[in-house]
Amino acid sequence: MTGRDQIMTDTMTPQANGDANYAIEARDLHIYYGNFRAVKGVNLQFPQRRITALIGPSGCGKSTVLRAFNRMNDLIPTTRAEGEVLFHGKNIYDPDVDPVEVRRRIGMVFQKPNPFPKSIYENVAWGARINGFKGTKADMDALVEQSLRSAAVWDEVKDKLDQSGLSLSGGQQQRLCIARAIAIRPEIILMDEPASALDPVSTLRIEELLEELKELYTILIVTHNMQQAARASDYTAFFNMDTDRAGYLVEYGATNGLFTNPKNEMTELYITGRFG
Amino acid sequence: MTSKDTVGNKAPKDLFPRGEEVEQDIRKRRRAGTIWRTIFLGATVFAVIVLSVLLLKIINDSMGLVAEEAAIPERELLRAYHEGRLTAAPNSAPGGEGDPVETAESLADLPYDALVGIYAANVSRGRCRAVEREQRFFADSLVCETEELFAQVCASDNPAAACALGPRDSTQVIRLIRADVIKPKVVATWNALESITNREEILATAARRFPNAEVYFKSWLSWRFITSPQSSFPEIAGIRTALLGTLWVVGIAVLVSFPLGVGAAVYLEEYADSRSRLNRIIQTNINNLAGVPSIIYGLLGLAVFVRALEPITSGAIFGAGDAAATANGRTVLSAGLTLALLGLPVIIISAQEAIRAVPSSLRQASYGLGATRWQTVRSHVLPNAVAGIMTGVILSMSRIIGETAPLVVVGASTFITTDPDGPFSKFTALPVQIYQWTARPQDAYRDIAAATIIVLLLLLLLLNATAIFLRNRYGKRLG
Repeated sequence: MTGRDQIMTDTMTPQANGDANYAIEARDLHIYYGNFRAVKGVNLQFPQRRITALIGPSGCGKSTVLRAFNRMNDLIPTTRAEGEVLFHGKNIYDPDVDPVEVRRRIGMVFQKPNPFPKSIYENVAWGARINGFKGTKADMDALVEQSLRSAAVWDEVKDKLDQSGLSLSGGQQQRLCIARAIAIRPEIILMDEPASALDPVSTLRIEELLEELKELYTILIVTHNMQQAARASDYTAFFNMDTDRAGYLVEYGATNGLFTNPKNEMTELYITGRFG
Repeated sequence: MTSKDTVGNKAPKDLFPRGEEVEQDIRKRRRAGTIWRTIFLGATVFAVIVLSVLLLKIINDSMGLVAEEAAIPERELLRAYHEGRLTAAPNSAPGGEGDPVETAESLADLPYDALVGIYAANVSRGRCRAVEREQRFFADSLVCETEELFAQVCASDNPAAACALGPRDSTQVIRLIRADVIKPKVVATWNALESITNREEILATAARRFPNAEVYFKSWLSWRFITSPQSSFPEIAGIRTALLGTLWVVGIAVLVSFPLGVGAAVYLEEYADSRSRLNRIIQTNINNLAGVPSIIYGLLGLAVFVRALEPITSGAIFGAGDAAATANGRTVLSAGLTLALLGLPVIIISAQEAIRAVPSSLRQASYGLGATRWQTVRSHVLPNAVAGIMTGVILSMSRIIGETAPLVVVGASTFITTDPDGPFSKFTALPVQIYQWTARPQDAYRDIAAATIIVLLLLLLLLNATAIFLRNRYGKRLG
């Protein structure tokens, strides 16, 4: 723990493989859509059991970077990643790595709540079932309850577990999606603007939830909302768009430091709302 | 800003209508809308009227007054039989209250052996023997044939059909009596409309011109019509053969095209790289195939299924039936496969659209949980696309059930009286039957063609209703 802040001060320096303090790490990551380079030369290390916010103006590639960490970009044809994403010392883009396993261990919550059109119970249980959950019916019930409790939505849905997940409000749906993600016990949870489609009260609940979840999970969150990044995250990475429209990492550090004393002029302009 | 806000030399707001002009402008725009709305309404009304006229014309033809002459009327037969029994056994006093023969009002009320007796007494011995060789009347005795001859026929190389079959039943014998003894002949028919509006005059004319005929209001569409086999006399002809043929052919077509079509759609949408040249060519061809005239499919079916694959489609390699009796590839199976090809593009395209309509956020959620592609397709894509896929199947089925040309080319029989009983049978189908009958000159054929059209439409309605019911059921469970 003592070394972390020190490490974070010099974020651009790659660390040795398998550094136990890092959950996941990008090394010289470039992402292309066809011939267009969307993201260039990102070097980032995400500490274990912390919340890291990715911020930046629209189109700067922060979502693309986030989705590169569990190979969701693979689903878009023509997308290609160069460089390395190290997870437990292994590059997840190596040919012998199955993206299914990557996504099973690195979960994701999307911008728009997207529960399955199935029952609330089934929404949570499905991920476990397809990933070979070996427990009994009682174990599954317990897993569903525990996941829903962890996502702070249990009290609202416990009496209607057999109702459709779509019958819930937007904020409840998003917490259901978080429960669904943590039901398979990933190591990292990627969140792509999880509160941008929600009202302020629901947003606040999600932020409180993040604070609880970080005791167990490493969380990477993309957000447009600067206050949210400042309130909810431990570390912040600021991305910007270059003149060739490729996104790149401008500055990365502890959230407190970055917001109070940005090193880069661009970061200062952005966090003070003068551009972006 | 305001000083710079000019278009040409004027401020933009001066270029819009003002004051009185605003009202005029809006009125003009509304008028254009009203005119178009009237045109659209007119188109709808026109379409509804045309369809109604078509339907009414068919119904009008399918029923009406007929003048029917019989060689021996049914009443006559019943009376003669009753008297015959009294003469044969005057002391047995059969005239009790419950005697079925005396109170019989139609042939259907008579016991089986009475029917056989009536039949045997009123046809030539030769005809009776021929009928008995097709199928015997009683399991334990023969009516017209002698035991020795029958045993001889059964022992020969080419045994008669009756050797292997069980005895006939009442319905069949009544049908024989109608065809061979009563021989009803419709000498004149009138359609429903004139039968109602002009009844008196028709009755007078009929009485004058056909003094021996019975004139009555007949609906050509009846249960008897649906359950009787094909015949060369319109009075006793039915559509059972064609109806069963249609069910067999469409059944096989749907069984084949549904899994193939959905499979192809899933592959093209979820697995294939839609940008590759090959897949783009395939996609374009599927779209074009949906518009290919059905007769072309008929020719394809003739070349491939009837000719090239004859050993399979005739059932020869499965040992079904002897070569002389089979249809040489012109079977239910060939026709079903041909119609399956015909329906395939529609199923593929609509299933693709249904699959494409499943929100990609669901797929993302599924992949994000570590699901494989197949798990995603199986648990999310297909269940959410099922309603659209069913719609495609309905559309496809509606198209192929009315297809005539390919069936004629593939070799639907023009006249068969035996029901199709398997994929290797000869067949005919409802549209083919309609086509055959409308081509005949006699009025009565036109009337039974109209009745057949009604059956075809009802069948179509029934199948569609079933499919929609299934679709809604599946659709609801997902909600």
